[in-house]
Amino acid sequence: MSIIEVKGLSKRFEFHRKQAGLLGTIKSLFYRKKSYKDAVDNISFNIEEGEIVGFLGPNGAGKTTTLKMLSGILYPSAGQVSVLGYNPQKRQKDFKKKFGIVMGQKDQLARLITPMDNFVLFKAFSEISDEDFKSIMDELSKLLGIEDVLDVQVKKLSLGQRMKCELVASLLHSPKVLFLDEPTIGLDVVAQKNVRDFIKKYNHLKKTTIMLTSHYMDDIKELCDRVIIINFGKIIYDGKLSHLISTYATDKIIRITSIEPIQQEDLERFGVVEDYQGIRASIRVPRELVKKTASEIISSDLMIDDILIDEMPIDDIIRVIFQETNREDK
Amino acid sequence: MLKHIKQGIVIIKTAWLRNLNYRFTIIMYRVGEITELLVLILMWTAIYSGGAGVIKGFTLNEMVTYVLIGNLCSLAVRNFLPAYVSRDIVEGRLSMFLVRPIPYIKYIFFNELGRSFLVTLMSLLTQVMVILFFLDKFIFNGNIVYILLIIAMIFLAFVIELLIGFLIGAIAFWTDETEALQLTIDRIKRFFSGGYFPLSLLPVTLATAGIYLPFAYSFYFPAQLYLKKISVHDGLIGLGVQVIWIIILAGILHMVWKKGLKKYEASGS
Repeated sequence: MSIIEVKGLSKRFEFHRKQAGLLGTIKSLFYRKKSYKDAVDNISFNIEEGEIVGFLGPNGAGKTTTLKMLSGILYPSAGQVSVLGYNPQKRQKDFKKKFGIVMGQKDQLARLITPMDNFVLFKAFSEISDEDFKSIMDELSKLLGIEDVLDVQVKKLSLGQRMKCELVASLLHSPKVLFLDEPTIGLDVVAQKNVRDFIKKYNHLKKTTIMLTSHYMDDIKELCDRVIIINFGKIIYDGKLSHLISTYATDKIIRITSIEPIQQEDLERFGVVEDYQGIRASIRVPRELVKKTASEIISSDLMIDDILIDEMPIDDIIRVIFQETNREDK
Repeated sequence: MLKHIKQGIVIIKTAWLRNLNYRFTIIMYRVGEITELLVLILMWTAIYSGGAGVIKGFTLNEMVTYVLIGNLCSLAVRNFLPAYVSRDIVEGRLSMFLVRPIPYIKYIFFNELGRSFLVTLMSLLTQVMVILFFLDKFIFNGNIVYILLIIAMIFLAFVIELLIGFLIGAIAFWTDETEALQLTIDRIKRFFSGGYFPLSLLPVTLATAGIYLPFAYSFYFPAQLYLKKISVHDGLIGLGVQVIWIIILAGILHMVWKKGLKKYEASGS
């Protein structure tokens, strides 16, 4: 049996449309047209114990809604969910002691007290014994390097430190399943890498099953073997990340910075110029040619100051898949 | 049972830690309380100086004592639940509790218990200062039966106020705008609690209505008991009325909360 089983899961939200302006507002007081949005539309997947699965998709694709249904915050409109053998919508206490959730955009720590005071509160919520609490705290604070911020008011912490503490708050009860919704959002590159490294180590140590959403390709590449991509509430890809990259991310992005402005025409011979701002430009180049092209750019007579090779952004990959699947439909 | 108490103690402690940050707020609230109290006492002193020795059975000293004791009781039972609960719902913080193995209601109950204990302690100190200032007008009642009855009444009133506060906060499930409603209900509550003037000054029908509503038990009733203007027997009946209200309100809250949660989930806050 899989740790997470999702079958035909759907969530339909009801909302009202309102015409713009005063007249429209007055009209809507008397008559409101109901509209529906299928935030999640008949999705199915299974996740095995110990997997880290990346859950990707543009804003509003249905990622957070799915995680909320998996954790019992939202009732599904249709379909079945089983997490660790529990039905999340029953919100059983036993179930809640076995999973954790971090929402990057919603903090659970009270701001006016220290992280440690917060953890003690969560310890009481989950009825964790003193011995367990101590050993888990020691381990997590060492792994995350937050020993010296545990007694500082949460509101004084940097975003990166706070996110680390949020992670601890969700891991105190040693969950078997962990849902991470944008755990690196808004963090700088170093903090992102720290959080990412921690998630990787933690999964390795505890074999915790992790499902994470992220906007950053780096997060996904570092952490996930498998990705599920969702768009307009439907799953459009479920499989190995390596397959995704070799099939859809056929290009890479070369970003250059030059000392003096370069003419766009001078760059076009290397590949497709995606973004051009005089001294800064991005060029899309087929994956197999990227090394050769990069060395050509450096050895050319252009005054190159810096050169960087990046993966295609997730949104672009999704666009490619989306175009392909639409083409197949027609 | 032990488990619940243990959880409760941690929540109360954390509430203290959090609220001790609001030192300025705590002090400024007390300044407001004292001002209001002084205004009421000055007003009654002015009214009585017109020559009336007794108004509807109240002497000036009784009226001043009524105001002082009543205020103390109403401060002890007051809570900020409407604001807390509605904010948690509107901002979606409630989600964070739905995934924790503790019911939101239990958490918020203990949290408020902790917060109000601290505030009551502070209020008690300032009130005692005011009482000392008006010592010549203050009437003492050290009768242990009355005191115990008043304490029981205040505890039940505290529970009633929590339930009402929670219900008002739960309105946020259906509309984001709860503030005006909160203020209006506060005013009506204050009137029927006898906070502006003793209910016995009102026409009989309104006064009777006041006795069967739950609000009088956080000001008028305990203050009148203290003045021995209400008998122990009527006081006990009052406790009965309170218990009935607690049952009714808890039932309503149970239903409203269930309905509200459904709505919350549907809108996906």
